[in-house]
Amino acid sequence: MTTEIARMRNIGISAHIDSGKTTLTERVLFYCKKIHKIHEVKGKDGVGATMDSMDLERERGITIASATTNVEWDGHSINIIDTPGHVDFTIEVERSLRVLDSAILVLCSVGGVQSQTITVDRQLRRYNVPFIAFVNKADRVGANPVKVRDQIAEKLGHEAVLMQIPIGLEAAFNGLVDLVAMKALYFDGPDGETVREEPIPAELAAEAARRREELLDAASLHSDELMEAVLEGRATEPLIRAAVRRGVLSRKLVPVFIGSAYRNKGIQPLLDAVVHYLPDPSEVENRAIALDDGRAERVLAADPGARTVALAFKLEDGPYGQLTYIRLYQGSLRKGDELVNSRSGQKIKVGRLVRMHADTMAEITEAGAGDIVALFGVDCASGDTFCSPGLNLAMTAIYVPEPVISLAIEPVDKNSADRVAKALNRFTKEDPTFRTYVDPESNQTIVQGMGELHLDVYIERMKREYRAEVKTGMPQVAYREAISQPVDFDYTHKKQTGGAGQYARVVGRLEPLAKGAFEFANEVRGGRIPREFIPSCEKGFRAALKKGPLIGFPVIGIRVVVNDGQYHPVDSSDIAFQTAAQGAFRQVYMKAKPQILEPIMKVSVEGPSEFAGNVFATISQRRGVIVSSAEDGTFSRVDAEVPLGEMFGYSTVLRSLTQGKAEFTMEFLKYGKVPPHIAEMLTEQHLEAERKKSQK
Amino acid sequence: MTLTVKEELIKRSPLRILEKSISGGLGKGNIGVLASRKGVGKTACLVHIAADKLLQDQHVLHVSYASRVDHIVTWYENIFKEIAKAPKMRSALDQFDELIRRRVIMNFKQDGAKTEQVLRSLEAMIVHGNFRAETVIVDGYDFAQAGTEDLRMFKAFAGRLGLEIWFSASLKKDDPLFDEQGIPFELVGHLAAIDVLISLQHHGDHVHFSLVQDHGRRTPKALRLKLDPTTLLIAKESPVRAR
Repeated sequence: MTTEIARMRNIGISAHIDSGKTTLTERVLFYCKKIHKIHEVKGKDGVGATMDSMDLERERGITIASATTNVEWDGHSINIIDTPGHVDFTIEVERSLRVLDSAILVLCSVGGVQSQTITVDRQLRRYNVPFIAFVNKADRVGANPVKVRDQIAEKLGHEAVLMQIPIGLEAAFNGLVDLVAMKALYFDGPDGETVREEPIPAELAAEAARRREELLDAASLHSDELMEAVLEGRATEPLIRAAVRRGVLSRKLVPVFIGSAYRNKGIQPLLDAVVHYLPDPSEVENRAIALDDGRAERVLAADPGARTVALAFKLEDGPYGQLTYIRLYQGSLRKGDELVNSRSGQKIKVGRLVRMHADTMAEITEAGAGDIVALFGVDCASGDTFCSPGLNLAMTAIYVPEPVISLAIEPVDKNSADRVAKALNRFTKEDPTFRTYVDPESNQTIVQGMGELHLDVYIERMKREYRAEVKTGMPQVAYREAISQPVDFDYTHKKQTGGAGQYARVVGRLEPLAKGAFEFANEVRGGRIPREFIPSCEKGFRAALKKGPLIGFPVIGIRVVVNDGQYHPVDSSDIAFQTAAQGAFRQVYMKAKPQILEPIMKVSVEGPSEFAGNVFATISQRRGVIVSSAEDGTFSRVDAEVPLGEMFGYSTVLRSLTQGKAEFTMEFLKYGKVPPHIAEMLTEQHLEAERKKSQK
Repeated sequence: MTLTVKEELIKRSPLRILEKSISGGLGKGNIGVLASRKGVGKTACLVHIAADKLLQDQHVLHVSYASRVDHIVTWYENIFKEIAKAPKMRSALDQFDELIRRRVIMNFKQDGAKTEQVLRSLEAMIVHGNFRAETVIVDGYDFAQAGTEDLRMFKAFAGRLGLEIWFSASLKKDDPLFDEQGIPFELVGHLAAIDVLISLQHHGDHVHFSLVQDHGRRTPKALRLKLDPTTLLIAKESPVRAR
């Protein structure tokens, strides 16, 4: 049975860390009768919230991998993707945003718009995702939902409008006034499961009337019909809802809802809002790239009858085998259908098809356009597109950033070694920003990722899920090398020691490349190097770039031009030209004035203004550049660019300097030149290591 | 190579005319004010002055009341793009990344932040943040809302830390805006703390500059400058076009 598309919602729950979105999701599952008991995130009952299926998430109280789950509310089928809030895991957030149609932006009644909220808002904007806002924790000391609404307007630049006002705040928070229906709502029963409607309390009548005016003003901008009705004093609930919905869909209006997930208040109205105001899959335009047609863009039809296009957006190696989460953009999916992976050309047959709950699943026989389901036993990578045979479309690939930090790990004993390998294999499949390789020289296993916490979490998961203990080295910054001036090369590789000889000569130049990592240009004329050996040259240079001669890190921003050469009819070979290319590179590289580059992070620090001076100082001490600061009364935010190498341990320093009142986020920005004294130090360290190796 | 291009760019800048007209520049410890009605081009002028300082490898602190940081960033990008359009100046744009590292934007809300608090934050940036600012640009400051004491505090601050501070002043009252000496009525109360006062006015389709007060001298004179309406750069009054 497929759901009628108008009754389908694919939503994400995006938020700042600690704003309570996992608790919120937990309540949603409970009220939709998917779970029978509520577990808290840091549960006293030792069970933990249902969405955080990993032990570690339970312990740390944070959500790491997004689990998707399906719930029913008011005759609608809602797929929810729980997204992680920490910046180190933004690949997960971005992947889920790609497949969602809309979102609930969760904010804290006390903290309001924080740096992570700004990041999430930017992501929602990038993927053009309509959203509603939920201001959580109205029961906390200092809660001020109205101020949060103002911040959404001022800091994020959205037309935000209150849909409700709270009845009481902080400890006295005990209900809401619905400004559309003009009723008071209370949440009764041990878990707030009964919504009781009452007339608006007299003391709130004036404020409710005023706020409703604001709501009608904002909403009527999106509907002439409502505008007329308002003027004639006959605005009805359906008219208001339709107008707000239109505003949300065009991303021009953000309705703001209020509640406290922890106190079981305000969740059911929020679910109603999902149904009322967020789009169904047919209301969102999705495009695919036609691989046969010069990469032209095609708009997909959310029509179950059309030919199938689906995106594999997440792989998970669970206890039942490999699970592939897919989003259906067009057509339907039935057991036994045949699909083609447009990247590899491989055909697959749809076997088991399931709908996911947090960590249980329901077998289904078919799914229609717009739905999110999971497949079993499909071999693919995340980001692959599956199409009906004959269609050759690719959903735009999800942007995968390069890792910026690496760490050497070493199993503590032989038993652990196997398990480490197994764990790494799974993690790298699940998360494209987590990578691993064995350093051929030190024979150490190196893991790479997006930040300290990112790697920490995987080390912990190895321990817990795979019982694999590892020792870790110091985190290492992923440096790069780049040349700063062009240089010519002319290199001959010759070897004649009995048997078949080797001969190849390559002539050309290396040039700095402003944009991109590597470019290869073939300007050889008159067959001086036979065509079949040109790819060998490129291969040789690519191999040489992996380990720069300066400090042994990859070389980026380089263009290689080969314009002449020589070959020998018998002794020239693929290998000979590869070797010649590598030799040429090594011979002239140092003449091209190579420089060391380091990852520069975009860092945002937020906290009370009184600590701004301290924050300025910590950034300046870390070779950082302050880009801007913004002070809003007692609260301030500092944006800066700081080399990653200087950011290790920053959270501890910041916490102790500001009594834990400031926090920071960071993400990779660009590669920047290392200052001379540090370049010198790195070069010396590299030479020292090389010397030691040669003595061995 | 690029250095000489840059030097030439600095030498030929119309801002040298401005400096010459005000006895060699605003000078450390002094306050300069650009006054006009809203929308005449004060922000463009301020950013051009800042860009010129950055080109000379100086540090600039851009203080903004009201404007969002990303808008200010865009202003600088545009102004640098225009400057780099001059012949042979493309290399100057390559240095944009380097130059912009010497600019910090600080954003305040005037109704939220008292002048004492703003100055405390500026000092924290300069001292703790180790940001050796020579010039401070203050945009969007509401002179009508501020007391006369506030500008005097800025003046004292400029003197103590050896800064040049350029303000923009938006004139909001009804006509006439200026008295017979060319002084905007709205700024009369602040005059004691202002060293250089320049007013901007529309003349036909161009914006012209007149120097109202120059380090104590109060003889209004027209500057040989205008604001180019397409580039939003300060330009010579009658530029010598391609010969």
